[in-house]
Amino acid sequence: MEGGHEKGAKVIPLIDKATNSTAPEVDPRLLMAIKTVVRYSDSELRIATQTLMDLMKRDHSQVRYLSLLIIDEIFMRSKLFRTLVVENLDQLLSLSVGFRRNLPLPAPPAVASVLRSKAIEFLEKWNLSFGVHYRQLRLGYDYLKNTLRLQFPNIQANVERIQQERRERERRSKEILLSKYESLKENFSSIKGGILSTMDEIDECLDILHSQQESVSDDILDNEELPEFRSLELQQIRLAALQEVEKVYESSDNKVVFDTLRELYKLLVTKHLVSIQVWISVLVRVEVADNRFRDSTLKEFIDIRNRLKSVKNKCEEAGCSLLNKSKLEEEEDFWEDGNVVSMETPSSAPNNENKHLNVASTSHKRNNDDLGSYNKESNHFDTDSLLCRGKEVESNSPRSKLIAEAPVVRWGHHLDYWDSDRVFMANQRGLDLESHWGRVDDDAVIPSDKMYELSLPAMPYEEEQVEIQPCMAPLRKGGFCQRRDRKVCPFHGTIIPRDDKGRPLNQSSAGDMNIDLRTDLVEQLAKKAVKNIRERDQEVAKKREIDKQSLKRAKLAKIREHNEAVLRDAAMASTSRSAVLGEVGEVTDEDRLSATDKKQSLASMLRKKVTSKDRISQKLLSSRARVTMARHNMS
Amino acid sequence: MMLKKKLIEPNKNGSEKVHWANTGVQFSLLHTFRSRKDNENGQKVESVVLEVRTEQREREREREKEVQIEDARNMWKQIRDREAGKLRANSFANRVKSNRVFQLHLSNHKDIISPHKGAINSLQIDSTEGRYLLSASSDASVAVYDVQRPTAYESSTSLSKHTSLFVIDKQQHQQAHKYAVSSAIWYPVDTGLFITGSYDHRINVWDTNTTQVVVNFKMPGKVYRTAMSTLSTSHMLVAAGTEDVQVRLCDIASGAFAHTLSGHRDGVMTVEWSTSSEWVLVTGGSDGAIRFWDIRRAGCFLVLNQSQTQLGRRPPILKRSMITKDSSTKLRAAQKKHANGSGSRQLQVGRAPSKGPIKQRLHPGLLSTQDRATAHYGAVTGLKATEDGMYLLSAGSDSRLRLWDVESGCDTLVNFETVRLQINKPIQLATTQDSAHVFVPCMRTVKAFDMWSGNTYTVLRGHYECVNSCWFNQQDQELYTGGNDRQILVWSPVRSIVDEMDEGPAEDQDNWSI
Repeated sequence: MEGGHEKGAKVIPLIDKATNSTAPEVDPRLLMAIKTVVRYSDSELRIATQTLMDLMKRDHSQVRYLSLLIIDEIFMRSKLFRTLVVENLDQLLSLSVGFRRNLPLPAPPAVASVLRSKAIEFLEKWNLSFGVHYRQLRLGYDYLKNTLRLQFPNIQANVERIQQERRERERRSKEILLSKYESLKENFSSIKGGILSTMDEIDECLDILHSQQESVSDDILDNEELPEFRSLELQQIRLAALQEVEKVYESSDNKVVFDTLRELYKLLVTKHLVSIQVWISVLVRVEVADNRFRDSTLKEFIDIRNRLKSVKNKCEEAGCSLLNKSKLEEEEDFWEDGNVVSMETPSSAPNNENKHLNVASTSHKRNNDDLGSYNKESNHFDTDSLLCRGKEVESNSPRSKLIAEAPVVRWGHHLDYWDSDRVFMANQRGLDLESHWGRVDDDAVIPSDKMYELSLPAMPYEEEQVEIQPCMAPLRKGGFCQRRDRKVCPFHGTIIPRDDKGRPLNQSSAGDMNIDLRTDLVEQLAKKAVKNIRERDQEVAKKREIDKQSLKRAKLAKIREHNEAVLRDAAMASTSRSAVLGEVGEVTDEDRLSATDKKQSLASMLRKKVTSKDRISQKLLSSRARVTMARHNMS
Repeated sequence: MMLKKKLIEPNKNGSEKVHWANTGVQFSLLHTFRSRKDNENGQKVESVVLEVRTEQREREREREKEVQIEDARNMWKQIRDREAGKLRANSFANRVKSNRVFQLHLSNHKDIISPHKGAINSLQIDSTEGRYLLSASSDASVAVYDVQRPTAYESSTSLSKHTSLFVIDKQQHQQAHKYAVSSAIWYPVDTGLFITGSYDHRINVWDTNTTQVVVNFKMPGKVYRTAMSTLSTSHMLVAAGTEDVQVRLCDIASGAFAHTLSGHRDGVMTVEWSTSSEWVLVTGGSDGAIRFWDIRRAGCFLVLNQSQTQLGRRPPILKRSMITKDSSTKLRAAQKKHANGSGSRQLQVGRAPSKGPIKQRLHPGLLSTQDRATAHYGAVTGLKATEDGMYLLSAGSDSRLRLWDVESGCDTLVNFETVRLQINKPIQLATTQDSAHVFVPCMRTVKAFDMWSGNTYTVLRGHYECVNSCWFNQQDQELYTGGNDRQILVWSPVRSIVDEMDEGPAEDQDNWSI
């Protein structure tokens, strides 16, 4: 044991060094060293425990805090340390948590509060991981929690609560899935029937269309026989058109069929396909004891989905244009007719001839609209082409000039109400409204100007893009300043045009710059002066402080000297040996001084900072005292 | 493992004939060799250093294990002696028991979950079965626990929990006490009755099975302590120490006060029946006096005086004569008289000559009331008689423990190293079976003293506030303590190895990551 004690000297200086710091953490290297030392020797561990417990009794929260950190590190690792610490747990807790009224935590208060919260946190952690093995831990935790009602961070409970919530959520979603599954079980046939009937209808519609198309395509083939000798370009366009002709287009005779097809398709895409997806996902996720029904249903659903997809493709192939339309621009039927026409005009497909003619009468104004509607950035090619076309048709008309000049307006909803004087029936939207609150005025009207006002476009302000010239002032290490500032470069002053060597071009501006430079110089000088003065002030203050300290020290030394002299005198009076004692005392004093120097950091934490408030109050108090003194003297 | 092997088959060949103390040398030799080799390789020197350190640690561990094995060997030797008849059954049992007492520590496998919301004032195990623990609390409740059979057992932590079999508190029982219950004791003959005394001036006698009050005594003041004689065959008296100066004996059989013992000048904090005579009662008052009463006679026959001392357990004959020489012969005569339990104490009372006429009128048996000798400065807070009834241990609010020789009435001057004792509440002391050790609540700790030398041999730390009571279970060698922190803690000897074999929870182990 004695041998162990001698060796134990190793850990004590390490711990002392580690705890003698003002840092909020233990130096990791020292900590590592302590851990290694303690790990390989039980006797060292015992000594470390004792040292740490002694340090916990130190009257300084910082020391206690660092010791507590070390204790936690070793506590989480060594069993022997745990058994040793747990023996004195109430002491450790009272020193770290400070729950005893007669043993409050020492200064500094900021560190003390950190120490306290950390101790509570550690206790909870220890209790969580080792409470099973140590009744003392459980007792301490229980006492602090249930008797003193301290607030614990409650790590475990939080985690548990979160898990509980998650479990609850999962359970609920499972229940929902199950109920969905049950409903599916009941309604399976009807769902399937609905989908199949829709698909059948679509098939029928397509059949009808195809039968119609065949007759038409014959015509096309006939037309093919009449080749025109035109440019290659036109030939290509024609080919593309022919391909398009392969598709069935809506016409007055098959309009009904198309309408139904469109509706059915819509139903298919928006309802059936989505619902099938949902059901499949339900089936995949649900957990039931009996898998047979689930598997068979899943299989069937997947089959149906594949069929649906194929039907959808068929639809798209057959009636691509109209279906796309119906898909993209369902709401804007009114406008899109014109669009379609204008798009198709250049193609000049023969079978669309009559249609084109139909619309041609109205298309002038539309063209206008179109022009307006195209964005200048994205579609300017189109507009160009259109413009070209316009030039071709009506070359020198004033209108074209005007068009060339006219500002371009962004396309938007408001264009619908451009220049129109239609009024809008407010309550006629294809719905018969039976208002609960009173009679509905069917003839309510919104005037056109109101409508325009309502749909007034918002125009975000777009800044003009101006290229900012680089400063281009020559740099000391070669090259030119590449900063782009609007007016003044922070390094080189006002930006002026320069030649390729960086010299200013304009003489007058050079003069300006000189002035600038001068003002800059003045400013700089002023700044420097202010700075110098401040520095001097600071130095003076520092010196004064140092002086004060040295004065104080000198005073203290004087007092001490005096005391010692008195003591020595007294001692001399009693014995002759005491002179030596006085010297010894001096030595110890010096020692103490050096010790305080060494512990300056820790001690400085304890010293109360003298705030300006304190100083003022002191001054006030002293002046008051002087006044009262004076009064006394007067009286 | 290695060690066991060595023990089983020692000295098979020459190389293993090394004594364990020398093994360290062997290791170090090995390492010098190894490290030289590594140096040659120019690698792994550090890892070897680590190894050396781990082995140093291992050696320490092994030494510890060796000590343990030595203990086990000792034990086996004793068992063999017992088998051979060299050792008496009784002494063997006593040795095992005292061994276990030395190992007392906070039990990790037995929790008594107290339902009390206030300080635990009194604890007692019934003397018939040694199984039922009665606890009294400041929240006016009384509870009974079964300490043998747990109410719940957690196999994962091998923790047995003992919740109360029943609780009597004021919420559920109309007859329950209104204020703090200061003491609860079992009827010494069986567990069918128990007696509680409370600050609401009442002493209730309860039927355990129906939890109803059978007999009820109204006292003149707060009841501090109640006691029943474990020896008595001829009376059923409950001695009650109260705020009042008089000690009353309540007869359960008749439901009335049988005696009123007056002599104390202040409230009586503790009462204790003698363990050698069923007629002798000892009371300790807040006035610092400890009085011995023979309930068959009037007045007390002995007042302990802290100034009368003797060195050693028996008053040595020579010393005694010296004492008598020193003190007056009158005192000696008086002592002799009051030791007999009779005779007048006029000579001692001579301090107050002005009271002459009053003392003339007193009954000769009551003259001892005039004796103002004190056993402690301040109040006497705890009393405990040894098993043979020859000694009495007293605790006072002067933070002193005194061991008195009952026969001579002298303090034996055993120095108990107490630090501080609780002063405002009566404390309950406990002794081990042969009164070799005594457990004393010292503020937040319980200290175990050797009765005759006064040395502390363990300090039991676990409570977070003052401990009020402790009780030693003679059968299991377990100690139960109750304190102001509302906990009842169980202190038990180390479990045997067999128990640990089937222990549930994951072993608590080192966890070094560096």
